Amino acid sequence: MTNRVDRRVLLRALVVLVVAAAAFVVLTAMGSPALAAGTDTAVTHAVAGSGEAAAHATQAGTIIHAEAAAPAEPGDNRVVQQLVNGLVFGLLLALASVGLSLIYGTTGLSNFAHGEQVSLGALLCFFFTTPQPVSLPLLPFEFTIGLPLFPAAIAAIAVAAGTGWLQDKFLWSPLRRRRVSIVQQMIVSIGLSLAMLNFIQWWFGAERQRLTTSIDERIDMGLFSIGISTLWSVAISLVCLGGVAYFLMRTRTGRATRAVSDNPALASASGIRVDKVVRLVWMMATGLAAVGGILLALYDNAAAFDVGARLLLLMFAAVTLGGLGHPFGALVGSLVIGVAVEMSTLWVGTDLKYAVALGILILVLLVRPQGILGRAERVG
Amino acid sequence: MSDAPVIVHADDLYAGYLPGIDILNGCSMEVREGELIGIIGPNGAGKSTFLKSLFGLVPIRAGSVKLGDEDITNMRADELVQRGIGFVPQNNNVFPSLTVMENMEMGTYQNPKAFKAAWSRIGDLFPKLVDRKNQRAGSLSGGERQMVAMGRALMMDPKVLLLDEPSAGLSPDRQDETFVRTREINKTGVTVIMVEQNARRCLQICHRGYVLDQGTTAYTASGQELLKDPKVIELYLGTLGA
Repeated sequence: MTNRVDRRVLLRALVVLVVAAAAFVVLTAMGSPALAAGTDTAVTHAVAGSGEAAAHATQAGTIIHAEAAAPAEPGDNRVVQQLVNGLVFGLLLALASVGLSLIYGTTGLSNFAHGEQVSLGALLCFFFTTPQPVSLPLLPFEFTIGLPLFPAAIAAIAVAAGTGWLQDKFLWSPLRRRRVSIVQQMIVSIGLSLAMLNFIQWWFGAERQRLTTSIDERIDMGLFSIGISTLWSVAISLVCLGGVAYFLMRTRTGRATRAVSDNPALASASGIRVDKVVRLVWMMATGLAAVGGILLALYDNAAAFDVGARLLLLMFAAVTLGGLGHPFGALVGSLVIGVAVEMSTLWVGTDLKYAVALGILILVLLVRPQGILGRAERVG
Repeated sequence: MSDAPVIVHADDLYAGYLPGIDILNGCSMEVREGELIGIIGPNGAGKSTFLKSLFGLVPIRAGSVKLGDEDITNMRADELVQRGIGFVPQNNNVFPSLTVMENMEMGTYQNPKAFKAAWSRIGDLFPKLVDRKNQRAGSLSGGERQMVAMGRALMMDPKVLLLDEPSAGLSPDRQDETFVRTREINKTGVTVIMVEQNARRCLQICHRGYVLDQGTTAYTASGQELLKDPKVIELYLGTLGA
């Protein structure tokens, strides 16, 4: 039904990939002599072997520099390794960004509290899975849940999606009904973000929490190595993102979601219950943010109360880079940001890796203001 | 037509976009089944606001709107669609990122089973849309978008169709085509209420016209009578090209 549209989107994505590949080849050629060194303190993800040392945190400012325990194996390619790490990080970032993009598309709101939904997802999973006693806010007693990781993750995602429902029911929907302007709503989201950040810190504490104590076994793929749990994370991300794409393109409610994104008033005039669609989007967005939070926590070995807040700027960058309000744009933007963040550490200090990603955002917008997949509309 | 039952009855409407500022100051209208009604008036008279208030898009502060015997004042747009009212806005009247066929599908969102038959019916009325069914609506010309917009509103087979300046921004031949289409749609039994800037052309095809001035319905008469009315000619039609 949408062959023509799909071809255009695919073509743009292909162009981006070709440009990225060309840049990759050039950078490899430029960087290879420097990369021949056996040990590099700036690179953490390439560490094969000891999982304990692989504290490859992706949050700004909390990078743990782990020295390689052993010289690189013959055949190891750190450029490829960083590219793979970047793609993995990009996929996980996409899970969080897609929801942000869907909310922006259907309501026009830049939701600054979306980062906290990522943190909440990860820490709710910790809450359900930890074998140690936990407590609920304001309740004076402790109890132990200790579910296995998978059911705990499902429970966390369900609760997180429930918070999306609650937020829309009792906050965003009444604000929309009272015709509160979008800028005012954005300020409310900033306030909500701070409130949630403090609430999560008060509930879970400031320390990093580990979702699992098991050590990830890494598989050597020749040019790079990858953890088994990371492979699972990639598979889950692909399934979730594929599910979102299928929902938007192939289901009636998904097409209605795109219609609401285009023009809510016209959608309502067509008989679509816009409020119901928006509520579903909120639940999907917060649920996906939770999935992203949990997988990022597994990828990073742990999560803290501010993990989402640190990612928020990258999520906004990914959504803007891909094309505001375009859900597939969020995916492409996240992959570009993920690869840029991880690859940049080969040439510049890790402290600058987010600066590189945001620099790419500025450059792309200067050349293509509507973002990579955004479309300039015909007027009249 | 005068024997047909009343299908839409607006009684003394006061409405506006902002609290405390009324744009409509006592608008009334009575439309019978199968009629084609034109609403004309100078810029700022409240024509579009009147139409939008009938469709629940502008809050009504006083007065009432009835569809048959049912009070539909301030009812949600999706509920009105369910009751058989279709609305075609003047601007932004298509979903640009959706294909033509997906736009049509949104027209039958409340009754997806009706899509196939409705699409075949709309395809007969607007054959060009069938040729462009896989094209993104955002890439269509103004005239083609207008077809998509009318087609989408007709997909649910409405009893009443509200058209907000359907000829706005179109070339003269496209305008003619739009008026012809509107007449054809009306002949199939759909009651049409149309707001138009092109007052002369509108009055030529409509059964009755309402003249709005400063938010009130100044007077009503048949289209032909209004075309000959000296006051309407002087104020709204001009003297050229009669």
